[in-house]
Amino acid sequence: MTGLESRADMIVCQGVKKWFGDFQALRGIDMTVEEREVVVVLGPSGSGKSTLIRCINRLEVHQEGRIFVDGIELTNDLRNIEKIRSEVGMVFQQFNLFPHLTIMDNITLAPIWVRKKPRAEAEALAMELLERVGIPEQVDKYPGQLSGGQQQRVAIARALAMEPRVMLFDEPTSALDPEMIKEVLDVMKELARTGMTMIVVTHEMGFAREVADRIIFMESGEIVEEGTPEHFFTNPTEDRTKLFLSQIL
Amino acid sequence: MDEKREQLDWVAAAEVEGEKPPEVPPHGPVVWARENLFSSVGSGILTVAGLIVALGFFKGMLGYIFGADRKWDAVATNLRLYFTQAYPEDQYVRVWVAVGVAMALAGLSAAIWRANGRITGYKLGGGSFGLAGGLLTLLLLSPFSWRARLIYLLVALVFIGIGQYLRSVRPKLEVPALGVIVGTLAVLVGSLWVVPYGKHTFVDGQVQPPRPGTVAMTTKLPWTVMLLVMIVAYFVGKAVRDKVSPGLAKGLLSAGWMLLLPIDYFVILRDPALDYGQVFRVDVPIFLAFAVAGSAILWWLSSPHRGEIGRVVAGAMVIGAGVFWLAAAFGLSVRQIVRIDLVMLAVVALAAPTFAGEKAIRRKFIIGWVVILALVNYLAMMVNTPSTVDVPGSFPLGGFSLTLLVASATLMMSFPIGLILALGRTSKMPIFRLLSTTYIEVIRGVPLITILIFFKIILNLFLPDGMVLGNEMAAILGYSLFSAAYLAENVRGGLQSIRKGQYEAAAALGMSTPQTTSFIVLPQALRAVVPPLVSGVIATFKETSLLFIIGLFDFLRIGYVVVGGQTAFVGSQRENLLFVAFIYWIITFSISRSSVQLEKKLGLGER
Amino acid sequence: MVIKWISQVVVLILVVVGLAFFAAQAGSNLRAKNIDTSWRFLSVNPGIQLGEGIDVNPETGARALWVGMVNTIRVSVVGLILATILGTIIGVARLSKNWIVNKLSTTYIEIIRNVPLLVQILFWAAVISNWPELTHGAGPIDGWLIITNKGIGLPRIFPSIGFYQWMVVVIVGAYVGRRVYNKRETEREETGRETHALVSGLGVVLAFAAVGLLIHPVFGFLGPVFTAIGDFVGGIPVFVVQLLLSAAMVAAAALWIKRFLDNLRTPAGLAKLTDDDIFRIVFAGFAALMGIVLVFIVWPGLSAWLIHSSRDFFHFLGDKFEWLRTGRPLDAERPAITQTGRFPNFSSSGLVITKAFGALLFGVVLYTAAFIAEIVRAGILAVPKGQTEAAGALGLSRGLALRKVVLPQAMRVILPPMGNQYLNLVKNTSLAIAVGFADLVQVGQTLYNQTGRTLEVVAIWMGFYLAMSLLISVIVNFFNVRLRIVER
Repeated sequence: MTGLESRADMIVCQGVKKWFGDFQALRGIDMTVEEREVVVVLGPSGSGKSTLIRCINRLEVHQEGRIFVDGIELTNDLRNIEKIRSEVGMVFQQFNLFPHLTIMDNITLAPIWVRKKPRAEAEALAMELLERVGIPEQVDKYPGQLSGGQQQRVAIARALAMEPRVMLFDEPTSALDPEMIKEVLDVMKELARTGMTMIVVTHEMGFAREVADRIIFMESGEIVEEGTPEHFFTNPTEDRTKLFLSQIL
Repeated sequence: MDEKREQLDWVAAAEVEGEKPPEVPPHGPVVWARENLFSSVGSGILTVAGLIVALGFFKGMLGYIFGADRKWDAVATNLRLYFTQAYPEDQYVRVWVAVGVAMALAGLSAAIWRANGRITGYKLGGGSFGLAGGLLTLLLLSPFSWRARLIYLLVALVFIGIGQYLRSVRPKLEVPALGVIVGTLAVLVGSLWVVPYGKHTFVDGQVQPPRPGTVAMTTKLPWTVMLLVMIVAYFVGKAVRDKVSPGLAKGLLSAGWMLLLPIDYFVILRDPALDYGQVFRVDVPIFLAFAVAGSAILWWLSSPHRGEIGRVVAGAMVIGAGVFWLAAAFGLSVRQIVRIDLVMLAVVALAAPTFAGEKAIRRKFIIGWVVILALVNYLAMMVNTPSTVDVPGSFPLGGFSLTLLVASATLMMSFPIGLILALGRTSKMPIFRLLSTTYIEVIRGVPLITILIFFKIILNLFLPDGMVLGNEMAAILGYSLFSAAYLAENVRGGLQSIRKGQYEAAAALGMSTPQTTSFIVLPQALRAVVPPLVSGVIATFKETSLLFIIGLFDFLRIGYVVVGGQTAFVGSQRENLLFVAFIYWIITFSISRSSVQLEKKLGLGER
Repeated sequence: MVIKWISQVVVLILVVVGLAFFAAQAGSNLRAKNIDTSWRFLSVNPGIQLGEGIDVNPETGARALWVGMVNTIRVSVVGLILATILGTIIGVARLSKNWIVNKLSTTYIEIIRNVPLLVQILFWAAVISNWPELTHGAGPIDGWLIITNKGIGLPRIFPSIGFYQWMVVVIVGAYVGRRVYNKRETEREETGRETHALVSGLGVVLAFAAVGLLIHPVFGFLGPVFTAIGDFVGGIPVFVVQLLLSAAMVAAAALWIKRFLDNLRTPAGLAKLTDDDIFRIVFAGFAALMGIVLVFIVWPGLSAWLIHSSRDFFHFLGDKFEWLRTGRPLDAERPAITQTGRFPNFSSSGLVITKAFGALLFGVVLYTAAFIAEIVRAGILAVPKGQTEAAGALGLSRGLALRKVVLPQAMRVILPPMGNQYLNLVKNTSLAIAVGFADLVQVGQTLYNQTGRTLEVVAIWMGFYLAMSLLISVIVNFFNVRLRIVER
């Protein structure tokens, strides 16, 4: 990436802290994600990666610090939350497709009811997105009839149908069989090329190295190190990062 | 990949140790109230509305219970009627012996099954706070005198103090749960010596103090003895449990629980007058004949080399026994016990191939047969001997004891029937399935009351001449056949939850279908359906109140009709109903609570 | 293999022989007591008076039982509706984050569930008995709401002379309203504009109803039409109906077998039939055959009864219509108190919830609601948390997420046990006998005490409740199939 053009700050976290009971999951996170930037969050499990992006979508409520999405601060105000949520797409580890709706209805539900789009328009968009993720032929099936990889691709299409400005991925390939991981990663790579702002929590090092503009390494609820993939994989500064890399590579 | 991740977890955990302790976010009653009561405007409105409802309910309820014109004397005076109806006073020690047997079994069971649950000080403190809260509600909302309120307040403060001490100073303290239970019981029993709960006679509008002397008239001494029996039994069990094999001890105790009902009722409470000449001339010879001949046949059948012939012989025995049974209708006069023994032998013979194997197993099988035979013959003898206890009316029990008798007899009888029905409905054999399905669906489709009326009024029409079933027995039969259908559906749920792999594994080990069913499928299925089975038990217990409708003197009828109809207590129906409801509630609530505990325990056992 | 079949047949024979033995025994016992089985008591005057119902002095036994059935259905339907509403509210309240609402509903459930229903019904009866005496001018609001120890009096709205003619307009209105609703809904989906589909649909129905108040006399012309249809139906020979019924049963069996075989069909052709499958197919055919035997030989009266009752139904409708008759479709009246004997009592006007009906209704509604609440709660909890999260992440509001994502999935879990509870409620109304409400069981008991026909009455009881169970399970099953989630 050139880094020369000036880009707006899409997501800003300032000193975000979060507790589950007595356990502190986030210990003061400061982070800024710019528009069109792809950030991959790495770290051992239990390090607070998922909690962080779930806070950005307010699926979890942070207790201290501030989070801004596209300039709007996350507060208890319900209207704010709904506005932000329709700007921020999210893909879950367990897909969370709605099992009682067809693939088409899964994708068009939110555009029709939240964005108030005409059905015909929403369906056309859904077809377009399904083509993009490569499974237009499954449109009339139910989630239970699809493989894991196909379900995750539908989940991505469903999130994209809201035309979000940011996409959050919470370990999107962790629940998949190895042969299905690639088909999902390919969709994500294609998405990154179109300039979508993305925050991806993953264990896929290859993906991180190839696609990320910046890598954030978290451990025990803190950001230990961040930098370009090149810096991160070849010349890490922190000992903990080195230990992590030595074990994973 | 996975291995690597595990290592990383370990690294992460190690790192956390060195970090500064996490900052604790602010907590406190105000925060708690804001989060749980007033999180939004709607929630606030709900809170206020809920408070008004709660205050109104408790104030009305307590105002009613402690109102000056309530006739609680009706309950207090009639406690004996409530629990045992007209069981004669001079024989009342039998009731206590019957209860004592159950107490001893309970104590032994607690020891043998090692009831070693523990309660933390933190939890005990919570309980103490709860008690204090209850007392405070009581003193705030009940129409008490100020003096009484002051006393309640002091007691509540003491409990708050204890709770605070346990929570803040000794939260990690661990007390055996059994100790807490026995302690509570001891306090209750001890209070009998101080507080006169039951006033025993009521003459000319005056409550008379209990007459001294008979055991029947005062309960404080017997209940103290009962508690001691339980404690002694516990320590006996504790002393013995390491010296006998746990399997044997548990088996014997389970058998004891199964036999508790018939022994208590037929032997202790009915006190049959045995004619020993008759016993040695008829009963003992019949038993010996079946014991010896039956053992020989079973020994032969359970030989591992018997193969297909064994099954054929066993099948022939079943048909023979059935024909022999029906022959009575055509004038063949044989003692009933002979017929029963024959059918039993045939059924046990059917099971013989399942137990075929080495000598030790076969010997156990034979011993089992002789023990069951002895028990059945003994009980049959006791049942057929007239009772010496002279009770007005045809049935020695009434009130709560009748309710308990019907409930437990129903549970014992419906279990095997329900099991067979469930196996039939899930079997691959279409005729069995058709028969069980029809039975289950018909029974589940009609109200219990129609079945009870059917059994009470019409059953005797269907019986052979000379055979009469008492109302109580007819009711038990009706209840059993009814609950069996529901139980079958519950068990079926468990049977269907068994995965195919289990059957395949058993087949791969060369097990026969009966063996697979009894050793692999049923144990797992029953374990899986413990919660619905317990709800079934609760439902059956509550349904015993329908005895009232068919005119039997159960707990409800005693309260609603008998006590409510006494001239001294006209208009006390609500009080009596509340008492009946309270007793039912205490029992069903504790059953459902302990089932939740059991569920947790079983759930842990699976992992 | 062979042993399996032999054992089954032996057991079957044993069961049949056992039943036959009991039946023979019953027959001989009955003869010995000079009682014979007969259904004649259904058509003679039983000389009994019923507590309440559409006819308190029934002229025949059958009419008495019919009154009992209507009473059972009445209390069941009202009970079902109230219990569902109350149970759902309490079930949702148990999930509330509000501490006091949560604890209140838990307390309610734990108290109600653990006390026998019969005790509760008797308790409510005792409570009502302690309400104020019934006197002239009893309140709390004289002439509008009367609460006394004999029951509760309320105003009621009831269909009057013009009702059926008016209903014709309303039915047409409902049809048009439905069309308007659908059209508007499609329009909203196509353009994304809010079109207020529900409001306009209901508005159309209301408009029709209002216009109907004026023009309904015109629809009196339908009376002769219904009468003519009735005459035609009454003229159909019994034989034809028997044939039609038989054909329907054969067709049903054939359809069932076809669908059964379709399920077994694989791309490679029909799967090999097991013994079990063959048995099912044979059994379906056998059932159809038995049905035909029933229609032609065992109960030839069935077809005649069908013809007569449909003719009577159409004639009944025909009598309700008259050309240009002006009568109010709906009427309202207030409860009143009259005095014929020594004591004042409710007059026949107004809606009176008698003591027995009230005690039974309170009992079954409060009791069933506790169980329904648990089912609703379990159903909502059964929807994985990820579903709510995903809906939230898509920007759906909480209400919308509940309506579009959580409830449709929860319904699937809720419906089958809910059907069981409905069934239990209907069966539990039989406890009416304890408080003297004239339901089917109570009427039946009075009837067999008068006539000695216990066996027949018990048979009618069982038949009725089995039919109700069947009805409820068919309805529940219908919705259940519609809600089923497709899995691979």
